[in-house]
Amino acid sequence: MKTDSAPAKKSRKFFGHGIQRVKLEDLAGKLIVVEGADGSGRSTQIARLVEWLETCGHATVQVGLKRSTLVSSELEKAQEGNILSRTTLSLFYATDFADQLENIILPALKAGFIVLADRYIYTLMARDMVRGMDEAWLKNVYGIALEPDAVFYLSLEPEELVQRNLSKSAALDYWESGMDLGLSRDMFDSFVKYQAAMQGAFRRLQKTYDFTIVDANRSVDSVTKQLRKEIRALLDGE
Amino acid sequence: MKTFAELNFPGRLVAVEGLDGSGKSTQIYLLKRWLEAEGIKVYFSSWNSSELVKSATSKGKKRELLTPTTFSLIHATDFADRYERHLLPLLRAGYIVLCDRYVFTAFARDVTRGCPPDWVRGIYSFAAKPDLTMFFKTDLEVSLNRILEGRPKLKFFEAGMDLRLSSDPYESFRIFQGRILEQYMAMSEEFNFVVMDANQPVEKQQTIVRKLVGDRIDLSKFKRRSPLPLPPSFPLDPAKEAEEDMAA
Repeated sequence: MKTDSAPAKKSRKFFGHGIQRVKLEDLAGKLIVVEGADGSGRSTQIARLVEWLETCGHATVQVGLKRSTLVSSELEKAQEGNILSRTTLSLFYATDFADQLENIILPALKAGFIVLADRYIYTLMARDMVRGMDEAWLKNVYGIALEPDAVFYLSLEPEELVQRNLSKSAALDYWESGMDLGLSRDMFDSFVKYQAAMQGAFRRLQKTYDFTIVDANRSVDSVTKQLRKEIRALLDGE
Repeated sequence: MKTFAELNFPGRLVAVEGLDGSGKSTQIYLLKRWLEAEGIKVYFSSWNSSELVKSATSKGKKRELLTPTTFSLIHATDFADRYERHLLPLLRAGYIVLCDRYVFTAFARDVTRGCPPDWVRGIYSFAAKPDLTMFFKTDLEVSLNRILEGRPKLKFFEAGMDLRLSSDPYESFRIFQGRILEQYMAMSEEFNFVVMDANQPVEKQQTIVRKLVGDRIDLSKFKRRSPLPLPPSFPLDPAKEAEEDMAA
């Protein structure tokens, strides 16, 4: 696993079929993805990166899961009631992703923005893999996605994640604990088991999709420093 | 793609496909009436999706927010919802399920909109193949006239306006339907469509439909028997039982 090397400059491409009639050479901006469980410091790091990038004179746009105009409110409700079966929920998330990809990510990249994605297809795939969905099926669905310029996975042991989540909100989230899977009726147990399974899925994905694993079991500043260093190398690589 | 029979489901799925105005809905309705009269466990899937998925789909359509990709994905979400929540349990319970349109509608429509065929098929690969698919083929002009005669208000996506084929909705609809028909014909053999001549009178078509279904499916296996055993706390209703017996 690489942890420290600067991401090499990649040529623009979609993972699969992509979106029709998009000229890849027009996408001048950069797509930077930050992945990691709740409590891994994702949002904090993204907020810091935005501030830093804007100070440096880069225009930024942020995207994330469940933020599309098309289906976000319905997805929110679906989760509250836990009423959709797994293929349905999976495709609902894919719709949410596609809507943001076409309406925000691609236009912003075309305009030369730096797009910061608070999670990307990897979380969506990992969640579904843990729920027993076929990996080849998922790869086909997300063949629409654009390959990011850099992906940082903030890695933290489940035992540490649980501590951070509890110290933040004194409660564990139903979905982040994987309660729908019936791993354990005890939420604490379920959380730890589910997050361990998610890490396993991420490790599997890392073999196919190149991403940088960042040890998040450090101070916020130290993680920021590493992210800045790698992103600066990416931007200087022009 | 395996059929429900090949996957050892106790139930069977019969699908009808065709352009709007091909008369397929009339035919499947009459088929349902016949099977019911025969005392068969039959269910007509009325394509009810959950409120949530429906709300997102109609918002996307009303506000014209959909691209070919999101159009395809949101309809796949809708289909998955019906499939997992509705069709699968019925097929597990040994019903004959009748579907007015199935995945082939999506294959034809999404590919016409420019989505890659293997991507679309991959998405729907969770769905098994119908045990019988009847394609109601009319001359394009006949089905177009049936729909357009009343000068209905065509909806944006229904008319294929998103494809910018023509600024006139009626002209756009004609071109769009023509292209969908081409897609249907191109996959007809691959998915073993039984092509029905939908220019014939309704009664004549229905005779063929009933014979085909009877030949393909051993209907005697799908007759309703006595009602399911009731939980002990539930008092038996003799009137209802008699009713069920008569049906069997």
